Amino acid sequence: MTGSTDTRILNVVIVGTAGQGVITLKRLIEFIAAEEDYEGIFGSEMHGLAQREGAISSHCRLQKKKSGNLRDNIFSPIICYGDADLYIGFEPVEVLRNGMFASDKTTFVVNDRTIPPILVTAGKETYPTIDEIRSILIEYSKDPRKVQFLNATELAIKEFDDAQKMNMIMFGFAMATATSILGFRMETCEKVVRRELRDADANIAAIKLGLERAKQLIKK
Amino acid sequence: MIKHCTFHVDCMNIDIRFSPEAGKGGKFLFLGNEALIRGCLESGVGFIAQYPGTPTSDIGETFKDILEQQPDLNEYIIHHWSVNEAVATSSCAGAAWAGIRALNPMKHVGMNVASDALHAITLAGPNPGALVLVVGSDPGSLGSHHEQNERFFTWMHHTPMIEPHSPQECHDWIKLAFDLSEKYDLPIYFRTSTRSAHSRGEVEIGDFKLPPKKKGEFFRSTDKYCSLPPYAINNHVRLYQRIEKVTKDVHSFGLNKIYPGNARTGIISYGIPFGYSLEALHLLSLDEVPILKLGMTYPLNDDEIVNFIKDLDKVIVVEELEAFLEMNVRAIAQKYRISIPIIGSEVFPKFNEFSTGLVASCIAKITGKNPGTRIQKSQDAFNAYKAKIPSRFPTFCPGCPERAMIMAIKKATHDLADPKTIIAGDIGCYVMGLNPPLRISDFIICMSGGLSAAIGLSKKTTDKIIALIGDSTLMHTGLPVIVDAIANEANVLLVIFDNRWVAMTGHQPPVGKGKIQFEPLLASMGVSWIKTVDPFEVDKTVRMIEDGLKQGGLKVIICQRECALMAKRVYDAERRKLKASGTQYACDKYQVYNCVLCERCTEMLSCPAMRRTRDELTGDTVMSIDEDRCSCCSVCYQVCPHNRIKKTAYNPHLGTKLELRRIEPQ
Repeated sequence: MTGSTDTRILNVVIVGTAGQGVITLKRLIEFIAAEEDYEGIFGSEMHGLAQREGAISSHCRLQKKKSGNLRDNIFSPIICYGDADLYIGFEPVEVLRNGMFASDKTTFVVNDRTIPPILVTAGKETYPTIDEIRSILIEYSKDPRKVQFLNATELAIKEFDDAQKMNMIMFGFAMATATSILGFRMETCEKVVRRELRDADANIAAIKLGLERAKQLIKK
Repeated sequence: MIKHCTFHVDCMNIDIRFSPEAGKGGKFLFLGNEALIRGCLESGVGFIAQYPGTPTSDIGETFKDILEQQPDLNEYIIHHWSVNEAVATSSCAGAAWAGIRALNPMKHVGMNVASDALHAITLAGPNPGALVLVVGSDPGSLGSHHEQNERFFTWMHHTPMIEPHSPQECHDWIKLAFDLSEKYDLPIYFRTSTRSAHSRGEVEIGDFKLPPKKKGEFFRSTDKYCSLPPYAINNHVRLYQRIEKVTKDVHSFGLNKIYPGNARTGIISYGIPFGYSLEALHLLSLDEVPILKLGMTYPLNDDEIVNFIKDLDKVIVVEELEAFLEMNVRAIAQKYRISIPIIGSEVFPKFNEFSTGLVASCIAKITGKNPGTRIQKSQDAFNAYKAKIPSRFPTFCPGCPERAMIMAIKKATHDLADPKTIIAGDIGCYVMGLNPPLRISDFIICMSGGLSAAIGLSKKTTDKIIALIGDSTLMHTGLPVIVDAIANEANVLLVIFDNRWVAMTGHQPPVGKGKIQFEPLLASMGVSWIKTVDPFEVDKTVRMIEDGLKQGGLKVIICQRECALMAKRVYDAERRKLKASGTQYACDKYQVYNCVLCERCTEMLSCPAMRRTRDELTGDTVMSIDEDRCSCCSVCYQVCPHNRIKKTAYNPHLGTKLELRRIEPQ
């Protein structure tokens, strides 16, 4: 319809802990991509036991236009090691846990609110500091602009009285930080959020808040 | 162009993907499980029965939603949450024998339970109706207690097995599965995996087809339906005739496909591992390697396999877990004197889930290719910081009544040491008690395996034994074990977690919810010591456990409180509603003051709402409670030996008092 000839495969890794909305965001991104007529959409998500404070990861693979060469297209619902273009991290250490998919081409957007695993709370293991995590991630591309942290949970509680809205703030933040990867139109996002999610007004406001924050950071 | 589902706005809250309004040529995004449901709705399915289990639980949930959103369908389609898998499979056979097309989803280990029924049902055959089993395998044990390879059942029962790769195949092939089941009078084993069931992709759908509205009819046929000699032997002969017919016809089903190439090495794969293989080859610049993608992995057709491998120098079989396909391919090659190397489980791991990266590394090893610098570099980078990542075990949610009960058990038995106590674990949320730091569950076997093993242990040890079981597991297979424990005078304290939900698999209602009363039920079975307790009343619960351990025989404590996830959902919604309407309300709040770091709460409870931080100025360790995650169960407040957890007093003058929903005593 748009006559796009872009046959690149875009690989997005979304990570967090149970109940943060990893699956919700993945589903939303896929529906938005479909609404914008992406031809290749395939991705895997985790259900079941991974709940209960466990680690959750989802892979989302998008392709605007399918390639004429069959084997250039998406066949696996999970990404190959080193092949992720973008990480959306709802929890900092979960980005590291899924780090095998990152490489020098990867952009990271990460919520800075930690959810300490029980052994950290019990004082038996240590949680790396945010600075430590940041420098590990910067090591991939050596480009600090490709690693962006946001106090998304704090913003969500302050602005929406609902820590859960962190996921949509992070979505907006990711779109504005990685425009060449998640290049969706805001109208499409609004349309799909209204169709797929409850509490649509607040969720759209959260996406916009994330977008704004990213733009402010870029200006700096 | 893809059109999409409409959950909450249009069409009066009907998910259009599952309605007759969406028809032939429509394209939608579906998860694998959703796609096969749509396929069922296009196949005239009339009966679905299942026990929930990842990755198939959402099949039943979606059917329930569809029937709720489109009540007219209830005249055509019935969905049951069954008490266990054997009951579900037999229920489906019953419906099939009335001429109905029946669907029976289960997780891989569910097949162990269903197998007893399935063998006899396969001997008989599902005609005049059809029976399709959806078996959700779980390589990597992503949502299960182990990763057993249940494919070997297909060989034992002679049920043709279909393994889809994409949501489109889930949709198309489940339709075919019903036709095949009807045509060959065999149940069809439709095997998904955690990945194929929960991967989303585009699906082109067909037209809706409802089953007949009128009831079916059962025609008596002792020869066919009675699995007893001599009929059982005759049916065994008839079973071979049926499966041999399928073997002969495999090529006509369109399930197996060759991706051509000129290379002298070829790959045989199926389902999701096919996707890994194809991408791995592409990554290694081995696009010339031909692939035989099997949609039907049992039975194999000799000619199809021979035609693919006869001109090759080497065959690589890419399959997860035990070498099921490899073994069958080897047998065919041997039969036709084809002596080329067939490589599979000697290079690929026989355990855990595969990935494109892993398959690429293995193929590189076999072909002598370089796996590529990106894969190597990213793994090296990851390995360099891997040690810094703290482990994250799943645990009980904040405010979980099961955590409170486990804490009470630890308290009553002085950390299981005095009296020395063995904890017989079972399948359900309470398995998470075995993760550190709680470490409570001395063994896990299978559904109701805990109390069963406790019977033997109690006869041959002098230790105290506490067995744990959930309300749904109790109904699944637990009741007969209770009869056994009473009959054989086992000395066990059984704790039943009555949290009102099948919580672990995503909150399905347990069978008999609200209808079955545990106390009178257990009393009528002969249990003389039965107590019900709210685990949030810590002292009372501890005393009850101490008391129970002193009694002989089978004692039961019913731990009654709703799952915290469900309770908090309602609580948060109510709180937001009150706030939006401007109503004054008060709710409890727990905070830590000047913690002395005795570690009592972290060791006894390990609640994830508790947080340990380091004060940046003083370097001191500070404990706190995350307000948005705390569900105000008050257990830490009751447990702290130094009274360092304070409860913000509820002020009645503020108006409405908001409390987490309690289960009212019956």
